[in-house]
Amino acid sequence: MNDVIIEVKHLSKSFGSNTVLRDIDFTVCRGDVISIIGASGSGKSTLLRCMNLLETPSAGEILYHGENILSRSVKAPEYRSHVGMVFQSFNLFNNMTVIKNCTVGQRTVLHKNAAEAKANAMKYLEHVGMAPFVNAKPRQLSGGQKQRVAIARALAMDPEILLFDEPTSALDPEMVGEVLSVMKSLTESGMTMIVVTHEMAFAKEVSTRVIYMNDGVICEEGTPAEVFDDPQKEETKAFLSRFRNASAE
Amino acid sequence: MNSVILADAAGGVFSKLWEDIATLWRDSSAQYLQGARDTILLAVVATAVGCLIGLMCGILQTLKYGKGDFFLKKAVIWIVKAVIRVYVEVFRGTPMILQAVFIYFGLPYLTNNALRFDVITAAYVVVSINTGAYMAETVRGGILSIDQGQTEGAMAIGMNHFQTMVKVILPQTLRNIIPQIGNNLIINIKDTSVMFIIGYAELFAAHKAYVGATYLYFPSALVTMLIYLIMTVVCSLLLRLWEHLMDGPENFNLATTDSLAHTSGMTNFPSGRRRSAGR
Repeated sequence: MNDVIIEVKHLSKSFGSNTVLRDIDFTVCRGDVISIIGASGSGKSTLLRCMNLLETPSAGEILYHGENILSRSVKAPEYRSHVGMVFQSFNLFNNMTVIKNCTVGQRTVLHKNAAEAKANAMKYLEHVGMAPFVNAKPRQLSGGQKQRVAIARALAMDPEILLFDEPTSALDPEMVGEVLSVMKSLTESGMTMIVVTHEMAFAKEVSTRVIYMNDGVICEEGTPAEVFDDPQKEETKAFLSRFRNASAE
Repeated sequence: MNSVILADAAGGVFSKLWEDIATLWRDSSAQYLQGARDTILLAVVATAVGCLIGLMCGILQTLKYGKGDFFLKKAVIWIVKAVIRVYVEVFRGTPMILQAVFIYFGLPYLTNNALRFDVITAAYVVVSINTGAYMAETVRGGILSIDQGQTEGAMAIGMNHFQTMVKVILPQTLRNIIPQIGNNLIINIKDTSVMFIIGYAELFAAHKAYVGATYLYFPSALVTMLIYLIMTVVCSLLLRLWEHLMDGPENFNLATTDSLAHTSGMTNFPSGRRRSAGR
């Protein structure tokens, strides 16, 4: 059951002289739901983007089933097709309808035939409640609807793992719930997920593990109960209390 | 009274002009129409070919290399980009009339007649590569204007650079640069008149031939202007139609239930925000 999908080893990333990530180590196993929390600028989004090679790490290794994806022999597009990503700003293809958004990757990257791709896309669009909107263009959808389509688009590639980069941060408050409920249903289906989020209640409820990042390093890591209810580090305590105060206001 | 004399004179002028135009049209309409046909053919074909050249250059200019790439790959990309820069600067920075001279007279001169084009081929080649130089920059700008998120979205589902360009970026770029394609087409309709330098017979050549025979400068100029205007206006309208078709329908057929959203049944949402939200 505990088979490892991704291992991050001694990962560092700098932009010029600005070091954003320092010596990051962690392991993702099948079925894990890992929430990465932390203040803005702590490097959590950069970490996620490195894991999908949208940023090139400065040092360290990312092992995907034991193979270092940073070596030249690994083709980035091939790797990315196994690792889904959902963005803060949705990044749906503006020139395509909802259904086309969910089939284009299957057609061009996985070389599925049209009927197969469409059936697969419809399965996931129904799952996220967007099946009635197949002919809409992204500009005709609300933020929450766009994000649900983006999730269906990622799922339609049948990835081994899904990365979420602050999926609800760009949404109006009343649309956050619909996206979180879709994500929750995914965790129940056993999807392996890494979620960078500011939704603490969500992180606490659905995660198998929580990583608190501070200033480019993993400051604390553990089960939700450990990190939220009994944090060991001063920084974690300070962050969580700041967060509780902000929520209480 | 003065005004009566003036009115008479004016009436005389207009009736004379009308007579001259009628004569012109009776004797030479075939030449003018043939010239118009050759003008529009050259402009449309050369603009289309120029767009293809521009798209190709645009894609090539977006190629990137990282630190880890092999030396050969870096060198090839660097050279390709440098060649495109030189091409754009040379063909944007010199008059098309001299480029025509270079292609038609210069190439045979330099190659001892080994390489020579006939007039028609030379005209099509010159206008095409001239337009291509402008379009290369237009396409580059168009690609830069597409949100980086579109590229990342495509990369995240495993598309390579070429697939990302063809499926996601260029269709959106094309939509955005249609107005500029229209500009180029209209400029080409008018500026192909400089091809008289190599003897390409288009609308302006018909005007010159008629004037040379009759010395009736103004009536012929007026007729020629009107024909140019008709051609450019029709092209403008057709391009607008194309833009409209590319935008697709304003609304979409929609079942009215979205079980997850609070505001289920958002038909036609958000109407009237079409362009601003689309980008």
